[in-house]
Amino acid sequence: MAGSLPQLDPGWVDDILLAGAADDACLHIGEPVSRAELRGLVAERHGALADAGLRRGGSVALCLAPSLAFITNLLASWRIGAQASLLDHRLTAYETDVALKRLLPQVVVAAEHSTGGPLRGFAEITEHVRAYPGQPAATSHAVIQLSSGSTGPSKIIARDAASLVAEVKRYTQIDGVPRGGERIVSLASMVHVLGLVGGLLYSLHAGVNLTIPARMTADGILSAVAAGSRPTTLLGVPFHIELLASVQEPPKLPQLTGMTTGGELVRADVHDAFVDRYDVRLGNMYGMTEVGVIATDLFGEHRPAVLPAPGLAVREEAGELHVSLPASPYLGDQDPSRWSDGWLHTRDAGTVEPGTGLVRVLGRRDSQVSVGGLKVDLTEVEHMLAALPEVTGAVVVHDHAIEAYLMLAEGAEVSAVEREITIRLAAYKRPRRLHVVEQLPRTATGKLVRDQVVLRNQPVPNSEGTDHER
Amino acid sequence: MTVPGGPRRSDVIAMLATYGNRQPEQVTEAIDSLELAWLMHQIEQRYGRLDVDDDMFARMSTVTGVLDVLNDLKVGSSHD
Repeated sequence: MAGSLPQLDPGWVDDILLAGAADDACLHIGEPVSRAELRGLVAERHGALADAGLRRGGSVALCLAPSLAFITNLLASWRIGAQASLLDHRLTAYETDVALKRLLPQVVVAAEHSTGGPLRGFAEITEHVRAYPGQPAATSHAVIQLSSGSTGPSKIIARDAASLVAEVKRYTQIDGVPRGGERIVSLASMVHVLGLVGGLLYSLHAGVNLTIPARMTADGILSAVAAGSRPTTLLGVPFHIELLASVQEPPKLPQLTGMTTGGELVRADVHDAFVDRYDVRLGNMYGMTEVGVIATDLFGEHRPAVLPAPGLAVREEAGELHVSLPASPYLGDQDPSRWSDGWLHTRDAGTVEPGTGLVRVLGRRDSQVSVGGLKVDLTEVEHMLAALPEVTGAVVVHDHAIEAYLMLAEGAEVSAVEREITIRLAAYKRPRRLHVVEQLPRTATGKLVRDQVVLRNQPVPNSEGTDHER
Repeated sequence: MTVPGGPRRSDVIAMLATYGNRQPEQVTEAIDSLELAWLMHQIEQRYGRLDVDDDMFARMSTVTGVLDVLNDLKVGSSHD
């Protein structure tokens, strides 16, 4: 089962991530985990995965919620020298099945038993390892993730170990990043790049304690900060700023030095409310799954702009931001509109100021939206709906929430559409409301109209109810 | 059977509407995890800290579910 392609020596896991004093309190996930304990757990998982047939050059898929199990299985996979595909635990069984058939791992790790639930920062998982009829890794990449879609099926995004190590080292050169002996309380999912590299991998490398709150409520987050005395940075997404800024009388937290968010820009009024309440700096990070952190403003000096990280170049081309990247991060068919000649096309509109190099991110140029930090491609949702036999046309829009306007086939019931949605789409991608309309309006050139004011005024079929909430 | 003094449907919807500065009619019956975190905070600011376990959180995926859980917890009826 071993692959035959050259890879970065798996010793990078021990050297870059796990090295350090045995009694270093490197993680807090419900309870403290020392570096020595973590090394022991990773070694144990290494043995279990090897027993299941995973070898250097092999492939494994992890379908695990944020958890100690996710961390130990991921590090063990890399330590074996295998390629790890990360599947979001929120995917439905159908979506997971589709993803596995595309990725073809040799081993799958999923939760056999899991405590958890809404608003839990992490799950307690007993994992189950099984063989899958896949094949060894076709490339030397260390981690595989699926993008949200963005016209056509989701892209397979791949990064090699050298890229991950380079990003960890990039963080060490950015002013304002927590240093050894400090603490990060992370609200950002460790299954996605911000929480994975900016949180987990960087913390392990730099000797920063990484704490995951048990509860992702305002109270749960602030309690987690209060429970430790090290200088602490909160890492999250803009939703968390809004949540924390709404706490009327937050406790005094002298250990809190600042908060950093990735994802969309925080609104000015929310930013001001947070800084006012907590009297700490609010920093911003811009990055992508394909490359990790691209640009930062950790002291809020350049808001709303960000400064490119050391070792990366950012340019603007026809209103779109491009980031320097030596090789395409996509597997499969290459699309020059996504990466070409050493530049990754971000699909973000933006500008780069000559001289200072300050980057302004102005929004997506495609149909991707952010739902609490999670990326959803509206076109993917729309295509899924339009392909259903019950649906003759669909438009999916986003304002506060994802909503869909549908034309139903003769005799079709919207409840059938709702059932399909539950099977085919993870909860965070689902339209919150389905509006059944008689006709979807089109422009003079025949394109579907996406203006929500126009859509809301479309007549509904006589025999149907009006809106269907999920 | 609603607890007297406890939150009514219109109260829960009004609290949910404060997330994203929405109108009450824009609030859907289904509640996602971000809205739930927001709502918990609004409820606790108004009624004090609640002891909600995983099962209760799982039931709070709709406005009706929220009202049921708050009723079970007798929110709004205790005298501190």
